[in-house]
Amino acid sequence: MWSRLAYTFRETGASLRRNVTLTVAAILTSAVSLFLVGGTFLVQRGFDNLLSKWAGGVQMIVYVNPTATPDQITNIRTVLAQNTNVVDVSKLDYLDYARSLEEAKRLFAADPGTLNLLNQTNLPTQFKVVPIVGKTDVLVQFEKSFAGLPEVKKIVLARDQIEQISKLRDFVQTVTVGLSILLLIGALILIWTTIRTAMYARRREIEVMKLVGATNWFIRIPFMLEGLIQGLVGAVMSCGFLLFFNRLWTNGVVKLKGDNGFQALVVSNSFLNFVMLMLLLFGMVAGAIASGIAASRFLDV
Amino acid sequence: MIRLENVTKIYNSEVTALRDATFDVAKGEFVFLVGPSGSGKSTLLRMMNRQEKPEKGAVWVAGRNINEMPDSKVPHLRRNIGNIFQDYKLLLNKTVHENVAFALEVIGRPKHVIRQQVPAVMDLVGLTGKQDRFPHQLSGGEQQRVSIARAFVNRPLILLADEPTGNLDPGTGEGIMRLLDRINKTGTTVVMATHDQRIVNMMRKRVIQMDRGIIVRDQARGVYE
Ligand SMILES: Nc1ncnc2c1ncn2[C@@H]1O[C@H](COP(=O)(O)OP(=O)(O)O)[C@@H](O)[C@H]1O
Ligand SMILES: [Mg+2]
Repeated sequence: MWSRLAYTFRETGASLRRNVTLTVAAILTSAVSLFLVGGTFLVQRGFDNLLSKWAGGVQMIVYVNPTATPDQITNIRTVLAQNTNVVDVSKLDYLDYARSLEEAKRLFAADPGTLNLLNQTNLPTQFKVVPIVGKTDVLVQFEKSFAGLPEVKKIVLARDQIEQISKLRDFVQTVTVGLSILLLIGALILIWTTIRTAMYARRREIEVMKLVGATNWFIRIPFMLEGLIQGLVGAVMSCGFLLFFNRLWTNGVVKLKGDNGFQALVVSNSFLNFVMLMLLLFGMVAGAIASGIAASRFLDV
Repeated sequence: MIRLENVTKIYNSEVTALRDATFDVAKGEFVFLVGPSGSGKSTLLRMMNRQEKPEKGAVWVAGRNINEMPDSKVPHLRRNIGNIFQDYKLLLNKTVHENVAFALEVIGRPKHVIRQQVPAVMDLVGLTGKQDRFPHQLSGGEQQRVSIARAFVNRPLILLADEPTGNLDPGTGEGIMRLLDRINKTGTTVVMATHDQRIVNMMRKRVIQMDRGIIVRDQARGVYE
């Protein structure tokens, strides 16, 4: 067992040293491509946060002052629900203090300072209004009359916010997903080439190993370990990039004062950690599997 | 120990390297495969450890039809078969000791077994004291002894030798033959391809003669002709 392990590590180390240029190229490409994959997830998550308050076809949000009494809230609901030819009453939803706070936590993830200040006396509650299909234009005309109701703080319409953001999001998604797929393919090809070169350099050893009865797994494992290490080092670097750029972005967004909605474009640390963990796992597994397949391909010739 | 039944080997659907070869090799036997270059000797040897599969016929080794054996069992078959070649196939960046130990290492033999078996086989092939040299610091005959040590260190049942004296001068070749004879006397079956008339005539072992893929003679205590 020990001699096997020692053998594996010795061979892997020697092979990595022998192929420095290719190894470095493979690692850098994996790093950049994994960074883009991670970045895609973070950016999408930011957009999702931004758009989440509009999820489910919500077109209008009626913010209610925190000082409103239960009667006044019931009154607002009654008025909204009267418009049965415009408002889809079955989807009319009221977010009380607890649910509004939950949503705020998502939207203000970047801004713990603001979050800490929120409480029952200053956080507006809200009605989310879904129009009947095709009646959005009519609903918008009601904005003024709803705004006049007692204790309504303000009314926000989706069409003012959502459309540009959605377009931007789709554009960014296309670009980042496309780029990261291209680079991932590039990284896999480089790992593949590294392994093929490494095996060519060791073709005599491999021939002897096969003749004396080494199993294919035994021959393959040092190469798989080599691929795994390349993938892992690339992933660690990509996590570094991700941390760095996320910090930069978050700090930038926090400096933009005021309720401009951009606070939502920041992701929570737990999500960031989750993405980084996935990148590490993916880097290792993809590196090992690509090399294993490459090694198998060149083993039976 | 080895049995070929009507074995035909065709390379790339055009070159018939073996045609309908049938013979038996008993345990502990020493057999020469002779014939001109291109007559199919190496192909025949490669059939016996499944480096090649025949298009027709069956190859039996130690009671098993090795062509029906799954790929995963082939390594275990090969642990019972040693191989030596005209060009030695030594690893140039490893010492004599490392070359021989390598064969045990890669089949997962523990360190203490390696420490015990490598010096024993060095002694057998007459290389004691040279274990720390590199192949380029050895003569051709010594390099062939290293390759025999590597092939024999795991005590295989069968030794396949493909023109092992092909690169050696006559005197050195004779020394190698005496060594192979000693190994054969320990009970190891030896099949050796050669076109070295002198050696075949000197040894007087069984001779299987090939010509363009066909066995034209199979004679006990034969000569080259
Ligand atoms: N891997 C191969 N691919 C195609 N043809 C081969 C291959 N190996 C051998 N041959 C052909 O098979 C015939 C027998 O070759 P070989 O077994 O090497 O003969 P020998 O060892 O007696 O010189 C020759 O015609 C040779 O060209
Ligand atoms: Mg030959």
